[in-house]
Amino acid sequence: MTNVIQVAILGLLLGGVYALMAAGLTLAFGVMRIVNLAHAVFIIASAYISFFMFENLGLDPLLSVVIVMPLMFLFGVAVYQVLFRRIEGTPRYTEMTVLLTFGIAIIIEGLLGFFFTGIFRKADPEYATDSFIVSGLFLPEGDILFIPKGQFFATLLSMVLLFGLWGFLRYSQTGYAIRATMQNRAAAQIVGVNVRRVSAISFGLSTALAGASGALMSYLFPFFPFRHWQWVAVLLALVVLGGMGSIKGAVIGAFALGVASSFVVDRIGPTWGPMTFYLALFIILLVRPRGLFGKEVAV
Amino acid sequence: MIEDRADASPEDSASEPVEAVVRPAGPARYRWYVLVGVLVILLSLPLMRPLISSYSYTMTLGALVFMWVAMTSSWNILGGYAGYISLGHSVFMGVGGYVAGVLLYYYDVSPFLTAPLGGLAAVALGFLAGFITLRTRGPAFIISTIALLFMFLLLFDNIEYLGGSAGLPLPSPPFPQDWLRTPFYYAMLLSAMGSVWLSYRVAHSKYGMGLRAIAEDETKAEVAGVPTRLYKISAFAMSAFWVGVVGAIYGYSISFVRPTVFFTVAISAQMVLMAIIGGKGTVAGPVLGAVLIYAINEFSLIAFGASEINIAIQGGLLVAVLLFFPLGIVGTLRKRNWLPAFLDWD
Repeated sequence: MTNVIQVAILGLLLGGVYALMAAGLTLAFGVMRIVNLAHAVFIIASAYISFFMFENLGLDPLLSVVIVMPLMFLFGVAVYQVLFRRIEGTPRYTEMTVLLTFGIAIIIEGLLGFFFTGIFRKADPEYATDSFIVSGLFLPEGDILFIPKGQFFATLLSMVLLFGLWGFLRYSQTGYAIRATMQNRAAAQIVGVNVRRVSAISFGLSTALAGASGALMSYLFPFFPFRHWQWVAVLLALVVLGGMGSIKGAVIGAFALGVASSFVVDRIGPTWGPMTFYLALFIILLVRPRGLFGKEVAV
Repeated sequence: MIEDRADASPEDSASEPVEAVVRPAGPARYRWYVLVGVLVILLSLPLMRPLISSYSYTMTLGALVFMWVAMTSSWNILGGYAGYISLGHSVFMGVGGYVAGVLLYYYDVSPFLTAPLGGLAAVALGFLAGFITLRTRGPAFIISTIALLFMFLLLFDNIEYLGGSAGLPLPSPPFPQDWLRTPFYYAMLLSAMGSVWLSYRVAHSKYGMGLRAIAEDETKAEVAGVPTRLYKISAFAMSAFWVGVVGAIYGYSISFVRPTVFFTVAISAQMVLMAIIGGKGTVAGPVLGAVLIYAINEFSLIAFGASEINIAIQGGLLVAVLLFFPLGIVGTLRKRNWLPAFLDWD
């Protein structure tokens, strides 16, 4: 029984980080119909920034969020203005964004590889390998639970950021405009929403979330440039599972699959962890192609 | 649509006995001269050994170019005609490679004989995968093809029988050392010809027209009576065949099969890049794109060495083409009426 709780806790902590990663991806799709295959490479690029700030300046990866997020926000706005504005209104726009971001991903992957080589990196602040040890409470005598500190802080930060995102979308004027654009782009434009500005801000937000995820990745998961394909496959599976464009779906999907993969790792073996995501994706496509919380998307 | 074209080939006209046979004239005739000429040169190249300074290199280079032509033309049936972009097509290359690899490793049958089996295995997988992934459209389909790719990477990494992540070593082909590369050259050339022929036949059929209708507007195609689901799934399966075949030959030519050789996004990315740069949805585009991108790769390898910059260059090319020439070379030239007749195969 204790073991089950332990595995579930690890899964939830994993899910918290996945949720942050997937939220940015699904936001870009929800507002702008951009399927961003470069999202994971943005995360890895941010992980490099955090990593080097930790190595050279001793800045804690969790604190580096304060620098990485604004940086990635500006980067996102720039990418949107330079690249995505150009292809607005082209036929088969969404498909075009897939190919375009595919190209961007390859460019950044190549540049990262060129400058930082392909070796594994991982920041090691002292909490990365430490754990809280929980005993007593409701647990039977002598049993203890481990809560890895690094994962715990990461999930905490991710929850704070997701809550902030929710508050921003729910209560701010811009957030209101973003949600209107998500629901119906044309109608939002008609009632006076500056759709282009909203899109640029949303894409910036999406990459800023990638930046925060990268800061977490820098000490949670070993990374190297080529790794981003595996990540993007997992994140996209999450997003399709939750319903493309649904932030709620992505977060719930992330927690559910975080726990599920944690059990797969425990029962079947660590190599099969990622398989959970791919299998879940195919099952959901068979049963409910629009995903858990997705609307039928006209493409 | 074929019969009302002045430059229809005699072969096409023959299948329409009611129509008068239209003799190819002018530019169309010169097109056939050029194509047959190129083919004759390619077929006789290996026999002109004394004239070629680095023979093995030339043969290897030729084989690889033909391999990309075969794969990109194959990809184009689904990605170009039907408009369903697959970023996981290297799965089929891997399946073909492993089928032939296993038959060679455990049963000692030459991949030159079993390559079609590899292709058929790829077709079977294409049917199965298409059945599930083609329930979605557009971006969700693309995503599921990526997931398919990673699923297979994981699967093949962990199957003992297939050698796990180390793969299977394959024995060298039993050919004299001097001519070692020549059979691969011919095998890849035949595959490329087969693939382009298939692509041509599809483009010039009612079936191909149905696929194009799906690419234009799937709902309208459905209403107009195109059995879209059947067409899409069969297009997926068909586009897997030659990729599987060349996968089988490629594994043999590098003397091993290993998951990371085949099941990578990089190979799928190349197919997409080549098809888009050449012009997806055209017959000649993927051929042109494959040759061009392969040449660029070779040159940048010579210029920058085997560095990661080559990857960045490819990405930059893809972005530039998408932004400035979304129709690709063939498509853009045709739109401006600059397309030379020997490249107009549609």
